[in-house]
Amino acid sequence: MDLITSLFPWITNGPLIAVQVMSGLSVGMFLFLVSVGMSLIFGVTRIVNLAHGSFYMVSAYLMVTLVEWLPEGATGFWISLVLAPIGVAILGGVIEVTLLRRIYHRDPMMQLILTFGLILIIGTLVLLVWGPDNKSVSRPDALAGSVRIFGQPFPSYYLLVLGLAPVVAVGLWLVFYRTRWGMLVRAATVDREMLGALGVDVSTLYTEVFVFGSWLAGLGGALAAPTVAVALGMDADVLINAFVVVVIGGLGSFAGTLISALLVGELQSFGILIFPAVSIVLLFAIMAVVLIVRPWGLLGRPEE
Amino acid sequence: MTRATATWAIGFVVALALPLVLSTFFIVLLIEIAVVALFATAFNLLMGFGGMVSFGHAAYFALGAYAASLLAQKAGWPMLAALAAAPVVAAFGALIFGFFIVRLTHTYFAMLSLAFGQIVYTIIFKWTSLTGGDNGLLNVWPPAFLRSHTAYYYFTLLVIGACFLALYAVVTSPFGYALKAIRENPRRARFIGVNVRRHQLYAFVLSGFFSGVAGGIFAFHNGSVFPDFAFFAKSFEPLVVVLLGGVQSFYGPLAGAFGFKLLEWVISKWAPIYWPLFLGAIVIAVILVLPQGFVGLLERRTWRPRPSIGK
Amino acid sequence: MRISRRGALVATLLMSGSLGLGPVLEPAYAQGKPIRIGEINSYSGVATVFTFPYKEGLAMATKEINDAGGVLGRKIEYVHRDDKLKPDEAVKAARELVLQEKVDFLAGCITSAVGLAISAYAKDAKVLYFATHCQTSRLTWDDGHRYVAHTTNNVNQYARVLAKKAAGFPYKKWAHISPDYEYGQNLWEEFWAYLKFLKPDVQVVQQNWPKLGESDHSSYITALLQSGAEAFFSGLWGAQEIAFVKQARPFGLTEKLHFFTPAIGTPDELDPLGKEAPVGAITTTFPWYDEAVLKRHPKLAEWNKKYSEWAKAQGVKDPQPKLGASWGYASGYIIAEAIKRAKSTDHDKVIGVLSEGFEMEFPWGKVIMRGCDQQAMPPQWSGVVKMGKDGKPFVGDIEETHGKDIIKSCDEVAKLRAAAAEKKK
Repeated sequence: MDLITSLFPWITNGPLIAVQVMSGLSVGMFLFLVSVGMSLIFGVTRIVNLAHGSFYMVSAYLMVTLVEWLPEGATGFWISLVLAPIGVAILGGVIEVTLLRRIYHRDPMMQLILTFGLILIIGTLVLLVWGPDNKSVSRPDALAGSVRIFGQPFPSYYLLVLGLAPVVAVGLWLVFYRTRWGMLVRAATVDREMLGALGVDVSTLYTEVFVFGSWLAGLGGALAAPTVAVALGMDADVLINAFVVVVIGGLGSFAGTLISALLVGELQSFGILIFPAVSIVLLFAIMAVVLIVRPWGLLGRPEE
Repeated sequence: MTRATATWAIGFVVALALPLVLSTFFIVLLIEIAVVALFATAFNLLMGFGGMVSFGHAAYFALGAYAASLLAQKAGWPMLAALAAAPVVAAFGALIFGFFIVRLTHTYFAMLSLAFGQIVYTIIFKWTSLTGGDNGLLNVWPPAFLRSHTAYYYFTLLVIGACFLALYAVVTSPFGYALKAIRENPRRARFIGVNVRRHQLYAFVLSGFFSGVAGGIFAFHNGSVFPDFAFFAKSFEPLVVVLLGGVQSFYGPLAGAFGFKLLEWVISKWAPIYWPLFLGAIVIAVILVLPQGFVGLLERRTWRPRPSIGK
Repeated sequence: MRISRRGALVATLLMSGSLGLGPVLEPAYAQGKPIRIGEINSYSGVATVFTFPYKEGLAMATKEINDAGGVLGRKIEYVHRDDKLKPDEAVKAARELVLQEKVDFLAGCITSAVGLAISAYAKDAKVLYFATHCQTSRLTWDDGHRYVAHTTNNVNQYARVLAKKAAGFPYKKWAHISPDYEYGQNLWEEFWAYLKFLKPDVQVVQQNWPKLGESDHSSYITALLQSGAEAFFSGLWGAQEIAFVKQARPFGLTEKLHFFTPAIGTPDELDPLGKEAPVGAITTTFPWYDEAVLKRHPKLAEWNKKYSEWAKAQGVKDPQPKLGASWGYASGYIIAEAIKRAKSTDHDKVIGVLSEGFEMEFPWGKVIMRGCDQQAMPPQWSGVVKMGKDGKPFVGDIEETHGKDIIKSCDEVAKLRAAAAEKKK
């Protein structure tokens, strides 16, 4: 017992652990938003959209610009939060219609490579439009401070994220399980051809799914913007993390992505306390293990 | 066959004579083209011939580069010995990773290879005491008689030329044809008695081996190695080269390497900011318009829709 | 699969023939007229906070020098390259600058890894390299050699200044958060070694090593909060430190633990932080606005004005004089001076001048180029972060030390170099 407390002096500090857990949850939420979009797109179109991190980044940058243009204060912030993901959704739609439609019938490798190419293009465009230096978005004053959780200070902004999370999760569940569109989407993940044979316009459905997925990534980026440095390279960072989440949780599985995102968020949070040097390797090692033992993820479906 | 051999003989003689007319800068560029060509051809052994696209291949290049540098610098091995050991280390890495990776197909194969690639990158980056971490390893120079760029150029020509011959032999051997069969139709290949997993693993190891050679040669040319060599964005380069030059041809990557390096040089000069954009645009253009790459363009006048690479 | 000979042959001939384009595309230079210096730096990402004003300072110095007749009757011209914070790119750029652009000297760097990489290349290519902005002491000490000179501060000097101040406080338990790369490691080593030397009873209770450019520090912040430390040192800088401070604020970190950091004192970091600046933090700075400093250095006010006008004319968003600007300015003049004294651009002659050392007066004090290690020693200022009445933070209670009074001695450096050489064997 003494050994444990000397190695991990914080382990008896209940309030601190609670705060760390909540912190990890909010990190997990950003990841969830990005990853669920990627997972959704894969589930329906069978394309792993590597440019998903780029969508996240574009949304964060859009937040920077929108917050600057709009009048200062909370209203401006909320409007930006709504508009930025829409902007990214439009971008996603354009990309799907002009590029991705042409390659659905092609080798999945070519599709993967094409979306990888998009990362480079979008990255350069962001650089050209916004310049090379780092940007930041301020939190609205109401959320700039902290509250006390079990006596420990906890940033209010993260409370917002944690509060939005169940709303988003429930919202997504409602969309997929209680709307006709959601039913079509679920059907498409099971059998596209049959759906087409039944007269559904699969091609438009694909576009809609892609736009929705991009919007989710955009929401993640917009929400995260006030908490991180908005910089070039954030696309690679979030992509790698989203990748890990989606692989562990299972491509195409909503619940899997949620669990895995929270898991990864917590791991990152505690990883620094427990295994500071190897927390990054740990993440990839876990991903590798999952891929070896259960390649379709914890809750995913095996490849046809 | 003789015409081809004659062409290559002429090409070789031309290559030998080039340092007499070109400035040092272009000799350096040629060395780098050779390295990229070898790396891309090794990569294509998997992609074009084996039908497996690896997104983490930079790891084997980096393993070769670091192995060569560490042995030469920390263990005091003579350069040639270190260079000989480098591909062995890379192949060993390929064996370990490949063992797991070949159990998967397509998307998951690509993703696991990416994951392993990033693991290698992170280990190199974090293991500062061994690898120097972010600083990389500096002052990794070849012995005095190979120090001049011209001398190193001839050395590179020799080694990489030999590797190309070896790879050509592999590709035209029964093993090579078995690989192609697996790429076209794995189930059928299994039916006719080809051990699919084992062939794929061998291909992976061979690919890793020659990637390691490329890495080792580059290490001594550059004089320094950095963790970036293993970063996933670097894994994209052989992919672009292969797509540019032609996936289905053995010489495609060689042609692609020339094109790639020249494009890189020109664009870095005039508008370096646009380089990643060009890279992405080229790749997308090739995929959409020129599936056979540059070499394929010359080869066929008519385009037949390609059967998809593997199922 | 057909091995198409025709296709392959034509393709490869075309490709290699296009190499012939090389000499055509290679720009022709009027031989020998301006002195060309290849400058490699990071003009992207986290570094731009420093490198943009640095570039302006350098440009301003260069214009002044050229307007005054240049050096040896020739104009000085800087050829810039962006290394994108990667030593790999820097080496590539260095090689291209030397072999293709045929520059007379190399200069630049802000990330220490880049500086070390260029230095290694310079040593092999036998080209003199003036390291400008990067700070690691290894540049001129452990890995020093005759082909590298350092024109600005090195970590040892200001880390020691801060350590000296830290030793004046009763804190025994320390933690730190430093970026996990050469500079961060070097900075912490230098700070801790000197602090421990001055105050042997201090101990480290926690070490945090986020990666350079990390965007989310919340886990590190909570870790620091429960570390039990009384004070902590931060080696973060630029946009990363700004993000860190912003993220730490709701947690009240800098109120609970005394914050020591060399980087936050510059307007480059304080201004973007504004009301969120960590009041009470002990830091180093470039106090161009401080009354006492301006009184001690009467020429500084004039330089401040000149720089602001220059920056405004260049369209720089924030034309305040910054630390980076002063370093760029100083580097420009030191490089020119070295060439002038050598009366030639021959590398051996310039190295000869550097190894003898010289002094130069700048509006902010004397900068001494020390001969034994070709390392520059500028004045150092430290102080405490305070909040102005208008909500603008600044550094007050400024103390001035000269680098030469606190830096490792030539003997110690010689011992360091010998030890490093032994390790390499």
